[in-house]
Amino acid sequence: MTWRRAMPWAAVAVVAAFCGLVLSQFGLGQERASDAELWMRAAASLGARNVVSAIILGVRLLDTLVEVIVFTVAVLGVRYFLKIQEESTKAGEEIPESPLVAASSAILLPGILMLGAYVTVCGHLSPGGGFSGGAIAASALLLAAASLGAERVSARFAESRFERVEWGALAILLLVTLAPALLGRAVTTDLLPAGVRGNLASGGTILPYNVLISVKVFLGSWVIVHHFLRHRGEI
Amino acid sequence: MVGWQGVAAAIVLFGIGTLGLILRRDLVVKLLALGLVNSSVILALVSLRARPNLVPPLLDGPTPQALADPLPQGLVLSAIVINFAVLAVALVFVMRLVERYHTTDSTRLERRTHDEEES
Repeated sequence: MTWRRAMPWAAVAVVAAFCGLVLSQFGLGQERASDAELWMRAAASLGARNVVSAIILGVRLLDTLVEVIVFTVAVLGVRYFLKIQEESTKAGEEIPESPLVAASSAILLPGILMLGAYVTVCGHLSPGGGFSGGAIAASALLLAAASLGAERVSARFAESRFERVEWGALAILLLVTLAPALLGRAVTTDLLPAGVRGNLASGGTILPYNVLISVKVFLGSWVIVHHFLRHRGEI
Repeated sequence: MVGWQGVAAAIVLFGIGTLGLILRRDLVVKLLALGLVNSSVILALVSLRARPNLVPPLLDGPTPQALADPLPQGLVLSAIVINFAVLAVALVFVMRLVERYHTTDSTRLERRTHDEEES
């Protein structure tokens, strides 16, 4: 076996050895005391019922904010590079979609959009949140683009019209996150009251964060999907 | 699937993904392999603290001992979002390369860029 052929296997062996080393350090199989109680206390002080959202938008708030910025940069990259390319290529030909898909998507669309909104708004009460809610709502637009044609959907849901909303959501998100720091308090201070746990209006700033992130993810995903579709032509 | 079984499956998937990244020459298949590697990392993170009979981490429920550890679930969100962003941008670059060199084969791409440099 030549060296060139053996190289991939050597790489796999190195990766496997590394994984084994890491796992042996973890002490897999040994029970550690759970940190769940610690996180539950943090969630209770924020007034959120969903402990995961209390971690993401409470303890790890800055991480999540940087994540949103990474997502924004990716959307910008897709928009920039495909815009250059679109000028040099003509739009693909339209392929008519079967009436069955069009009819069933008309029935499913409102339901999917509603589910996206519900998952976003109840992110602090039950599993869900801004990222998943925004992605669900964007999948509704993908379905509409598949059944009605991307250009017809984008004519009604023009990207340029919502560009301001997208950037506005990011700006408000940054402002809300930095507001405690601007007011001279610790960055993770919650400016809104915790409220009664289990109510919709509880969890402090988690609900507004979820809504803003959802708007950002929804519009950003649509930009990505739309640019890919427009370059490729219709589905 | 709990604990070590999940981690074992994740290591196997990671290996398959890494092999695909190295051995396959098609750029789109390479990206699929990258997605597989990412999913295996998510599986490993979640199953490291997975135990039987745990319930979702919601308050007002049973005792803390019965709750699943919420920290890995919070952490994998970053992995999912970053993977989505990386794949989207990488696909755009593949599209640009196909537009210019009319192939997704990495060896041919290398040859064509080399030819272009020489001419």
